Amino acid sequence: MSMTTRRRLIASLLAGGAVVAAAPLFAGHASAADNAAPPHRDAADNAALNACLERESRMVATYRGIIGGLADNDLAAMTLILDHHIAYAHSLKGYLAVEAETPSSAPLASPTGSLASIARQLAALEDSTATIHTDTIGSIKGLDAAMLLASIVTVEARHAAALELIAGATPIAAVGN
Amino acid sequence: MLRSSGALVATSAVLAACSSAKPSVARIGESPTTVKLEDLAVTDVVLLRTAMSMETMAATMLTNSAVTGLASKDAAPVIAAFAADHISHLEDLRVLIAARNGSAYSETNTKLMQAYGQPALDLVANGKVEADVLALMHAVETLIAATYQYFVSLTVEPALRADLVRLGGRSSRRSAVSAQLINGGTGGFAPANDKDGVALVATLPGAFGSLSAVQVALGPVNDTGTRATVLMDTPSLNSLIY
Repeated sequence: MSMTTRRRLIASLLAGGAVVAAAPLFAGHASAADNAAPPHRDAADNAALNACLERESRMVATYRGIIGGLADNDLAAMTLILDHHIAYAHSLKGYLAVEAETPSSAPLASPTGSLASIARQLAALEDSTATIHTDTIGSIKGLDAAMLLASIVTVEARHAAALELIAGATPIAAVGN
Repeated sequence: MLRSSGALVATSAVLAACSSAKPSVARIGESPTTVKLEDLAVTDVVLLRTAMSMETMAATMLTNSAVTGLASKDAAPVIAAFAADHISHLEDLRVLIAARNGSAYSETNTKLMQAYGQPALDLVANGKVEADVLALMHAVETLIAATYQYFVSLTVEPALRADLVRLGGRSSRRSAVSAQLINGGTGGFAPANDKDGVALVATLPGAFGSLSAVQVALGPVNDTGTRATVLMDTPSLNSLIY
């Protein structure tokens, strides 16, 4: 056997060994690919997230429209919720960055009357806003946006229940039962 | 070729010695053998099974005699309704698990029950303070809401994320109602302190749902004039139901 042939044999054996050694590695990667981690963001989500941004922008306008007629604790409470919605709009705008569209700033409603009456109307709006965001979570692929919306829905559900109580609902009814 | 072969043989010998199962160094006493942990994946079904364990734990805590025995006439029906809600969520979760060919889990979360569930109930039983009932209910509902919110970050299937958020939203609402039962009216919405500087329970403690540990002071006042604080964390890798 010539030197060249021996080298070829050794090289072939080494290459064969490398393939055998690498096979489980590739198999591991194939397995990981089957349970592929969800994407952190997906450009296809932008339209739905812009719709959420618009909803929050309109919630801000709605609360701005009612706080002028309130005082003391009621004013502080509604201003707190207004601030929350401003934070939601900012966070969605920040997430979308250059993909953010200019949202409408038209109020969703103009609640009037007693505090209980205003709270009842706002509770319904909070409820439907939380539903919109929850449905969006079910349709988007990006995990970061889903986590952001989940953290918003968690508090908007609290808004809705608290406002229901202020509107005069019983504790059990305010939960949504 | 001979040099290469020699090197290969020598290397093989070294590697073989290293891989020996028997310890090559003298040792005094017994050395415990280590058992490699099983590789377990956090799948959507695992999260749903864990959610079942948390809902069961919440229902178990709210129906415990330490809680129901201390509840006021007004609070008792609310606590019973909230416990029934948790039981009804089990059926929702069972359907979601069955759709994914998983097995339902009907026990409480043993690790978390030991870590803070039972200690919290023991404190309520020992303290016999009526206010602890609502404080515990508020903490439990906040914990369950945070659990569902946290699980969104681990869930692969988008539609399931929405299902979990719907269930979490119910607990969020119950948490807000509990907070209002403790510190009611619009004055209880924002975080505030009492005249002694102690934080009051707020219905809306933050703009975004928090994932930090839920803290609740329960039980008898100790020698230093304070009460035990129980920290309730959302399930983690060591308390998931695989």
